[in-house]
Amino acid sequence: MKKWGLSLGAGLLALVIQGALATLVVPPWCPDLGLLVVLCLGLRWRGLAAGLVLAGLLGFSADLLSGSLVGQHALLRVLVFAGAFIAGRQLNLKGGMPLVAFVFAATLAYGIGAALISQFFLEMGWPPASVWAEGILHAVINGLCAPWVAAWVQLLGVWAGDEDGATRALPIESSRRPI
Amino acid sequence: MPGFLNRLAAPIVFLALVLIATITMVRDRGDAGAENRRDLPWWRGALLEIAIPIQRTAAAPFDALGDTWNRYVDLVGIQEENQELRTRIILLEDENLQFREALVASDHLERIAAMRDDFETPMLPAEVVGLDVSPWFRSVLVDRGNQHGVRAGHPVVTEQGVVGLITRTSPGAAKIMLVLDRQSTIDAVVQRSRARGLLRGLGAGELEFEFVVRESDVVVGDLIMTSGLGGLYPKGLRLGRIVALEEPGGSLVQIARVRPMVDFGRLEQVFVMLRRGPTLDLLYGPNAPEPPAKPELLPAPASPVDSPGPPEPPPPPGPIETARVDRP
Repeated sequence: MKKWGLSLGAGLLALVIQGALATLVVPPWCPDLGLLVVLCLGLRWRGLAAGLVLAGLLGFSADLLSGSLVGQHALLRVLVFAGAFIAGRQLNLKGGMPLVAFVFAATLAYGIGAALISQFFLEMGWPPASVWAEGILHAVINGLCAPWVAAWVQLLGVWAGDEDGATRALPIESSRRPI
Repeated sequence: MPGFLNRLAAPIVFLALVLIATITMVRDRGDAGAENRRDLPWWRGALLEIAIPIQRTAAAPFDALGDTWNRYVDLVGIQEENQELRTRIILLEDENLQFREALVASDHLERIAAMRDDFETPMLPAEVVGLDVSPWFRSVLVDRGNQHGVRAGHPVVTEQGVVGLITRTSPGAAKIMLVLDRQSTIDAVVQRSRARGLLRGLGAGELEFEFVVRESDVVVGDLIMTSGLGGLYPKGLRLGRIVALEEPGGSLVQIARVRPMVDFGRLEQVFVMLRRGPTLDLLYGPNAPEPPAKPELLPAPASPVDSPGPPEPPPPPGPIETARVDRP
């Protein structure tokens, strides 16, 4: 519960900081800290249900500050969190480069999701090439910032007394009974 | 049994959240009707009220950094720009004097003064406290809301030109959809040739001006302004300048790339025009400009109106600075 509360606080703080940072660093050069926190939490989280609720709350908070439809960020962040949760168990993302590549791909997928939702609900056309170029640049920036945010999230885990904060015990299941 | 329920907990929570988010989006999409639904619900308004001062505090060090950079480091070409602006002021003052003389001579001044109320729109200064960071949404958050008289549908400008339109309000904050947003379409006109067209946001840094090729005289460098015919924005506000023309081919319509007049990367202070256009009035109700609860003496933009209109007498001292716009 302590980690959940701290993570919620950290996610909200990231949203506030990114909004303020964007007044100085012009989008798309400004990283999406809120999304990065959700992704990095998803990679390390234990207990999917509580994590999904956290991602949903952070998504609705992002909707509050953004020009999106209310619920758009929430839906996408729940999906992204679930994706990161699964990827964290199936892939080895501990190194810098794998994490950067994963966050790059996740940010692009997030953009495609946002475009699809806008197309469906707002009957907007497919974004032009210039928007995709900015989207790719934004994904690169997010990817490059991911190791720092991941380290920060790891530190949060240590602070919250969650295992050793660095590694998660892999659940090894066996159908055999212990001898 | 508890183990079975534990396994189902995550899928159930996932589906519930997806459902809630989808229902919220559907409701938000259908909110274009009544005005009271454009004001955020109390709980979301309250959250925004909490977020605004925090965001402003968080922005303070970044603002200070930006100010230091702009004032002391990034001064390349500032001398040439100063010289150019001084020359332009002299030319404009001269032109203004000529207009005044001409109008006084033709006895129009008195009539214009009588029409003053119809032409004026009160302007409320607001500070930008947050921006969207992703390229998929283009909006900003300002620190003025419905307690200051701001309502959904009010146009927002700076001294450079049109910024966008208010879409959501809470008591102390409002969201602005920028002209860059892909949902933004404005009825526009080329200042020089009066060729009409539609100016669309692309979601990126430039805009797209779509006009009928036949008999339209549009060249690179032309200034694009609001026509006032769309019913959202008043007439005569600067939107952008044409930077490139695409070949029409066999099509009847041609596309021009437009660079917005407003530098959205350095958006700090904006002015909310406290009057809606007639189209939004049809949607929201009567067009009554609501004066802000706390009148302020803050500077209005030098001239959001670009067309050389008739001069007017100096405005009387009032609670809010005003700027003249042609009522659509």
